[in-house]
Amino acid sequence: MRRVAVTGLGVVAPSGTGVPLLMANLAAGRSAVRQLAPAPFAALRSPIGAPVDSDLSVHFPSARVRMLDRVSQLALIAAAEAVVDAKLELPLAATDRCGVSVGTGMGGAATTDEGYHTIYAERSDRVKPFTVLASMTNAAAAWIGIDYGICGPNLTYSTACSSSAVALGEAARRIWSGEADVMIAGGTEAPLTYGVLRAWEAMRTIAAPDPVDPSASCRPFAKTRSGLVLGEGAAFVVLEEWNAAIARGAKIHAELSGYGLASDGTHITRPTVHGQAAAMRAALACARIDPAEIDYINAHGTATHQNDSIETAAIKEVFAARAHRIPVSSTKSMHGHLLGAAGALEFVISVASMERELVPPTMHLDVADPDCDLDYVAGRSRSGVSLGAVMSNSFAFGGTNAVLIAERVGRRG
Amino acid sequence: MSTLETLKDILIEEFDLQRDQIMPDAELAALGVDSLDLLELMFKIEDRYKLAIRDDIPANLSTVNDLVVFVDGLLADDPDLHASA
Repeated sequence: MRRVAVTGLGVVAPSGTGVPLLMANLAAGRSAVRQLAPAPFAALRSPIGAPVDSDLSVHFPSARVRMLDRVSQLALIAAAEAVVDAKLELPLAATDRCGVSVGTGMGGAATTDEGYHTIYAERSDRVKPFTVLASMTNAAAAWIGIDYGICGPNLTYSTACSSSAVALGEAARRIWSGEADVMIAGGTEAPLTYGVLRAWEAMRTIAAPDPVDPSASCRPFAKTRSGLVLGEGAAFVVLEEWNAAIARGAKIHAELSGYGLASDGTHITRPTVHGQAAAMRAALACARIDPAEIDYINAHGTATHQNDSIETAAIKEVFAARAHRIPVSSTKSMHGHLLGAAGALEFVISVASMERELVPPTMHLDVADPDCDLDYVAGRSRSGVSLGAVMSNSFAFGGTNAVLIAERVGRRG
Repeated sequence: MSTLETLKDILIEEFDLQRDQIMPDAELAALGVDSLDLLELMFKIEDRYKLAIRDDIPANLSTVNDLVVFVDGLLADDPDLHASA
């Protein structure tokens, strides 16, 4: 049985670029959610979000940057960081045995927004020639493949909020099945445009801004939760066939041992206990481990009314009495909901937490919803906690539920 | 300013080129300007000269000088535009 080593981690997240900064901010419970700049967001009912605060264009020559939507810029920076972290020898050898697997919900949303603004608002025909190439959903994956000369499978998955958990899981499957030896896998999302934010607002799923402290607006599992907060960013991993990673002396962060997929098949937004529990069970079966072996769950925990109580019930169904003894946290309380990038970001956080013996907190959880009665690690992280196996949940509009499991190196020998 | 120098300014700004790379006989492709870049470049030319390029862009624009000749042709069609540039 082939195994999958996680040898590289890279993030460009609202809570920090680079895993060390991200984890320091999460350990300290610092939220990156904030009031968005007045222009152009002043007309929003909830002008809050979790932006990435750095000038991405410095990473690219100007001739290239105009071909890249923000969603691809974020992806390329995070993927490069993961490749550097993995110390992969470049140029890659056996490029037909390498692949790219990316999740994104909305692709190049800013480019689409700008193109329609040109056509409908300015009534101009000067649509940028790169509009199609920058906005197409697979652009980020394509550019990563071009940068590293990768000739194996190059795939983009779009299953809304579980997109990049699916991308990581499907990448692992390529390695398990023997179709590939190295996969660059991750997720990317750049939804903080006026058009996208208005569309999400119209669905009445965005949190009301906290009147005192906007950074406390996303309150997973809380009685006072009022919805999700959108964030932007990208997270990538390098996955390698275990023995090959060992043979080249790679530093292995963790083993990606479980991937479970199950769909609700009932409603476009409303989740089901059955679908979420089935995905968790499928991941446990894939990893061939018992529910008692899971030491931490990074919850989907969106802070929408529907998700948090259903997810809590699903965890109780899978883990039974032990559910109350497993720390479960939603780091979305700090980095917001990165939609198609959420699953990859939260998997990276889960792996990095395991390496640091850290349990990141759920922030802004003063009074829990009576339906949400697990140990959510409210308000403060825990250090010195030995984690052998961790689970990361990603559930989605459309009903595609994906769950990943990572295990500490050495746990299985 | 001559058309060549104006185009050099645009190319330097948009394509990270050095002025001495942009010789009249330089191939646009060799400067990293492919067919889609050329379309983007036409927007910059329209902005700089405050004109609207209504005709199709000729397929045989391969060197910097071809571009100079094309732009000079546009300007010759409307001398007022040239004065404002």
